[in-house]
Amino acid sequence: MNPALTNAIVEALPHVDGYVYPNEQNLLWSTLIVVYPYVTGLVAGAFIMASLVRVFRVQALEPVYRLSLLTSFSFLLAAPLPLLFHLGHPERCLQIMMTPHVSSPMAMFGFVYAWYMMAVLLLELWFDYRHDFVIWAEKERGLKGVIYRLFTLGVHDLSEPALRLDERMGKIISIIGIPSAFLLHGYVGFIFGSIKANPWWGNVLMPIIFIFSAIVSGISLCVVVSLVVNWARRRAQDIRCLDMMGRFLFYALVADASLETLDWVHRLYAADESIYVLKSLASGKLFYTLLIGQACLGTLVPFLVLGFLQLFRRHVAPLMRQHLYALSAVLIMLGVLAMRWNVVIGGQLFSKSLRGFTTYKMELAGHEGWLMSLALLVLPFVILGFLMRFFLPVHRPDSIGQGAAVKVVA
Amino acid sequence: MRPFRMPPQILRLVLLTIGIVTSYLIARYFLTPPSFGQYGFFRGDALEEIASRQPVFAGRQSCDKNCHAKAVETIANGDHKTVSCESCHGNCREHVEDRQVKVITRVSCTRCHEADPARSTFIKQIESKKHYSGQRCTECHVPHQPSEVP
Amino acid sequence: MNKPTSRRHVLTSLGSALAGLLSCSVARTAKAAVQNALASTPAPNRYHATEHRWLMAIDIDRCIGCGLCAEACKTENQVPAGAYFRTWIERYIIKKPEPGSAQTRGETVVDSPNGGMNGFPPSPVPREQILKAFYVPKLCNLCEHSPCSQACPVGATFDSPDGAVLVDPHYCIGCGFCIQACPYGCRFFNPLTKTADKCSLCYHRITRGLRPACVEVCPTEARIFGDLKNPVENDPLQQFVMKNKVQTLKPHLGTEPRVLYAGMDKEVR
Repeated sequence: MNPALTNAIVEALPHVDGYVYPNEQNLLWSTLIVVYPYVTGLVAGAFIMASLVRVFRVQALEPVYRLSLLTSFSFLLAAPLPLLFHLGHPERCLQIMMTPHVSSPMAMFGFVYAWYMMAVLLLELWFDYRHDFVIWAEKERGLKGVIYRLFTLGVHDLSEPALRLDERMGKIISIIGIPSAFLLHGYVGFIFGSIKANPWWGNVLMPIIFIFSAIVSGISLCVVVSLVVNWARRRAQDIRCLDMMGRFLFYALVADASLETLDWVHRLYAADESIYVLKSLASGKLFYTLLIGQACLGTLVPFLVLGFLQLFRRHVAPLMRQHLYALSAVLIMLGVLAMRWNVVIGGQLFSKSLRGFTTYKMELAGHEGWLMSLALLVLPFVILGFLMRFFLPVHRPDSIGQGAAVKVVA
Repeated sequence: MRPFRMPPQILRLVLLTIGIVTSYLIARYFLTPPSFGQYGFFRGDALEEIASRQPVFAGRQSCDKNCHAKAVETIANGDHKTVSCESCHGNCREHVEDRQVKVITRVSCTRCHEADPARSTFIKQIESKKHYSGQRCTECHVPHQPSEVP
Repeated sequence: MNKPTSRRHVLTSLGSALAGLLSCSVARTAKAAVQNALASTPAPNRYHATEHRWLMAIDIDRCIGCGLCAEACKTENQVPAGAYFRTWIERYIIKKPEPGSAQTRGETVVDSPNGGMNGFPPSPVPREQILKAFYVPKLCNLCEHSPCSQACPVGATFDSPDGAVLVDPHYCIGCGFCIQACPYGCRFFNPLTKTADKCSLCYHRITRGLRPACVEVCPTEARIFGDLKNPVENDPLQQFVMKNKVQTLKPHLGTEPRVLYAGMDKEVR
């Protein structure tokens, strides 16, 4: 075929601006890899919310304690799915646990995930629910009864020392759980932060920023979920709990916004070789998702709203506060999703030659399409709904287990 | 002092943990490929598997063996001595294996000799539009002996 | 609810189950070891990887951008058609500075249409505006501390003892982490095998005493290939190393790339 014609056709096809390495024309990591850090961030953030109750004894948050743990768990269950669907050979996925390469953050993440699931979340849930399991196991019949009996692990001791032990173990696990949650999502940040080849990803602040945006999104998720659950169960919203969640959300948002600002200030000040292409990236390809989505709508607006509420809470009617919390939480969640997009997709839109950009041609259907990503974002909520039938039945109070009666308040 | 009795919850959990860890180690034993770790952190068999793929291009030495000795000598004494046979003639493996298979020259001389500002001047370059009009390069030039201009 | 089982009973049954399973795995490992010892190595010509150390070097001044190397590589290694390249050539065109700008150089234009494998179209910049222009072949840089094999979660990509960086397509899970980790853009995701893929230094050729396909068809000896452990008479690689001042790509990243480039300009990344 005429080489000139071939060249012309090939030049016309991909939407490349400037120069990119020939292998960089098509993006490798799709929206699935945007969903994955988002979901693990929600896991970590929701758990931190729950630990505020256990470890820091924030009484006002007790009503959402179990809900936060269950939310964290349902998102944890859904977390590996985007990765599995993205793999070229998902049937070989067990290799990552069988021959894990200790120098690879991705391999070690398999163990961090397993540790967090089993040693932290499941254990904490178990100790909190053990009392209820024993009671429900005796009362319920049929499949539910079998499941509850299984979960008691054959232990039916409900004596005072046993319940006190449950309480203490729960607290210990929460304490271990906080650094574990940081490790879980910090590690995802490190997966990006360790890539020195990519100047958008490979820096020291990446894991820290991921952790704080995870906390922010996790607390927002708990706000949204508790609003929806109470509304669905036709219960009054607990404004005291919402106020407290809003306060912690504000603090976390301040920390997160400061870190992200620091990242940008440092980049602009130090202005190394990559700054030109990164500035073009931020103001061009990522204008809507970064400047409008993540910065303005996802950070600045919630910051102003929540800040306003911190100062003038007493002057705002509870119903209006509810709406403002809902608005801030939703905006933050969308903003953090935009942040994941900016990191993952943004990092692949510019060339490692620092000379050009390519375009993300997002599929609609197909296992890497955005419909799949949407489905994987909805799935944890479905799982949560399912879990709530077993573990947060309507007729039970949402408070810290029946063991609350023997909890030492000191 | 009361003798220490492990609380039943803790005992069950410890047993469960031991069970999980043991199953993992056993699974690992069975599921790790046998040659893994032979030369490093990879499947040792892979080196042999990759090495045993079939080469496609025949290689310059294939043309020498009593078949094209004269052409090879001519080229080696001229300006094209660095050019390998398969550079211009393409993949000749089929021809090496079965002499009846003809080899076609797929590459035009302008591929290398078209004037281009990025090409260093050690290679002679022409602007094909100005250099000739419609003739074939071989009407005036001998590819195997480029310094000979009839 | 359950009949209380004695602790000893539980531990005994667990222990025996464990012993049974472990003995199965020991037997299996023993069988594999015996098979390994008895089977002959299928390496072509009884090639021993530790006896060689391969390297490719690039002489930029000798590259004429014909693209025969990129084309040959695609044929030799069955690389899928499309934006997938194990090796490619980049053209750098450095313009003259704007008059009166007191700069040494103008803008740099870089292109690589289809990796250069069909040759290059005429220069987009008119000759009068060009200060300098040259071609740079790119390939796997054979890093000493390769970030790609560091990043691989399962050990599917690795540094072979003889200097190549290889991908095991039967073990790769296709996560793409190595592709992201390579600073030189030399890796790609093969849509047919659904694994990572890259220049293998034509491992299947060099282990049989042949040269990599790109070196084979290069008409100007711009690609210099050799064995550092077994230099031949008038070894081109040794001569290259002795004659030229060289650079490597992105040395600040600490990957210790072994591929040497002679005549490299500061604009080359």
